[in-house]
Amino acid sequence: MSHRDGQSGRGRRGGGGQRQWRPNVGERGKQVIEGLDENSPVIQSFRKFALELDTKHDRYERIVKHSRDITIESKRIIFLLHSIDSESKRETVLTEAQNRINQLNSTIFKEIAIELKGQDSYQYLRSFSAGLQEYIEAVTFLFYLRDGKLPHWDEIQQNIVYDEEKVHLDPVEYFLGVGDLTGELMRCCIQSLGTGSTKSCYEACSFVRDIYIGFISVSSPGHREFSRKLFVLRQSLSKMEMACYTLAVRGNEIPKHMLADVFSSSEVHDAHDEGFCVD
Amino acid sequence: MSSDMNSLFAAFQDHINVEQELREEIRQVNKDIDQKTREIQTSLQIIHQDGGLSKIPECCVQARKLFLDVKTGFSKLAAIVPGDQYYRFHDHWRFSAQRLAFLASLIVYLEEGKMAMIDEVAEMIGVTTKREEGFHIDLEDYLMGLLQLASELARFAVNSVTNGDYKRPLHVSQFVAELNSGFRLLNLKNDGLRKRFDALKYDVKKIEEIVYDLSIRGLKSEEKSEPPSTST
Repeated sequence: MSHRDGQSGRGRRGGGGQRQWRPNVGERGKQVIEGLDENSPVIQSFRKFALELDTKHDRYERIVKHSRDITIESKRIIFLLHSIDSESKRETVLTEAQNRINQLNSTIFKEIAIELKGQDSYQYLRSFSAGLQEYIEAVTFLFYLRDGKLPHWDEIQQNIVYDEEKVHLDPVEYFLGVGDLTGELMRCCIQSLGTGSTKSCYEACSFVRDIYIGFISVSSPGHREFSRKLFVLRQSLSKMEMACYTLAVRGNEIPKHMLADVFSSSEVHDAHDEGFCVD
Repeated sequence: MSSDMNSLFAAFQDHINVEQELREEIRQVNKDIDQKTREIQTSLQIIHQDGGLSKIPECCVQARKLFLDVKTGFSKLAAIVPGDQYYRFHDHWRFSAQRLAFLASLIVYLEEGKMAMIDEVAEMIGVTTKREEGFHIDLEDYLMGLLQLASELARFAVNSVTNGDYKRPLHVSQFVAELNSGFRLLNLKNDGLRKRFDALKYDVKKIEEIVYDLSIRGLKSEEKSEPPSTST
C-alpha cells in the first residue's frame, strides 16, 4: 500500500517538473524505511525474534511430519488387526501388530521425544496430537483383541519413555484415542456378524457400552474435542446395539453369513467415517 | 461395567479433578491480574484527553505503581503453575500478558520515546524472558502487545493534534514505521500474530495521513525529518 502511494507521488513530481515538493501519504513511511538504521536496537532485537520464532516453527513442523508418519502406520496396523477373521490367523496377526507398534515406539516416537527434549511438551501438543491419538487407537485395539480390556494410560506411556526424554501422554489425549477406538470396534462387531461369530459381536458391544458409560460418568475435562468424540461414540454404540438386536431377533431365521448383508446395506452411508482406511 | 473399566475411568476422573482445581486457582489469580490491567489501561487514557499531554509523567508514575500489583499476581502464578507446564495453562493468562506487554511498552514509549525491549517488559510484569529461566512472557504475547501499542499510538497521534501538539505525530510516525519494518523481518505463520500484524498497516496509514494533513497545512514543525527535496 505505502509502496504504491509512494510511486504515484514520484510520478506526479516528475511530471510537474519544477513544482514544489508535496508530501504524500506513504512517502514518509518509505523515507523512514530507507533511512532505517540496520543496527538500531529495535531492528536488532527483531532479528533475534525472527530467529526464535523460526526455531519454534521449524521444530513444530518437524514434529507434525513425524506425527503424520505415525498416523499412517497406525492406520495400517488397525487395518491389519481388522484382517483377523479366523482363530488360526489370530496369533500371527497379533504378533505382527505388536512388532510394528514396537517399531513405532523405537523409531518415530523417539524422534519426537528428541525434538521435545528440554521443551514444554504442551507447547507442541497440537503438532503431534493427531498421530498420538491414532497410535493410541491402534494400541488399545490390539489390547482389546488380545486381552479384552483397556490398558491404563501409564502402560502406554512407559513404552514411549527413553533415556532422558519422553513423549508425554496426557490422559485426555489417551481418552480421545479411546473414543476413536469405539469406531473400530463397531466395524469389528459388524464384521464378525459376517463370519458368524456372534459371541464376539456381543462382546464388542458390551465393551463399547462400558466405555460409553465411562465417558458419560466423568465430568467434561473442558476439551472441545471430547464432547464431539462422545457424540460419535454414542452413534457407534447405537449401531452396535442394533446389530445385536438384529442378531437376537433374526438370528434364528436366516443363515448367519447373511446377517452381515442385512446390516451392511444400512452401513453404506457412513463410508466417510474416519479411521478405517488405508492410504 | 467391569471393574477394570471402572477403576480406569475413576483414575481419569481424579486426573480431571486435579487439573480443574489448578485451573480454578489460576483463574482466580488471573482475575486479580486482569482487574489491575484494566485499572492501568484506564489510568493511561488520560493521554488522549484535553490537557492530558502535560500529565503524562505523573500518569506514568501512577501506572508503574499499579504494575507492582501485577508483579505480585504473576509471582503467584509462577508459584502454582508447574515449571514444565506453562503452555498447558497458557490460555488463562495469554490475553492479560498481551495487554500488559502493550501497557508496559506504552509507558516506556511515553517516558522515553523508544520501544520497550522484551526484558524491560518482562521486568515490569515480574517474569523472565526465557522459558528455561522460569515463568516467562511468551515472545508472541510480547509482539502482540507491540502491535496493540501501534494502534494506541495511532489514536494518540490523532488526539495530540486535536490537543494542539503537532510534533508528536511525527515522532509516532517514525516509531511505528520502525516497528513495522521490524515486524517485516519475521516469518509469521498463518496465526493470530499474523492477522494482527496485517492490521498494522491501517495504523501506519492513519498516522501517515495525520502527518500529511499537518504537512500540507504547514502545521508541521520543520526542525526534524525534513523531506529531502524541498529545493527546486
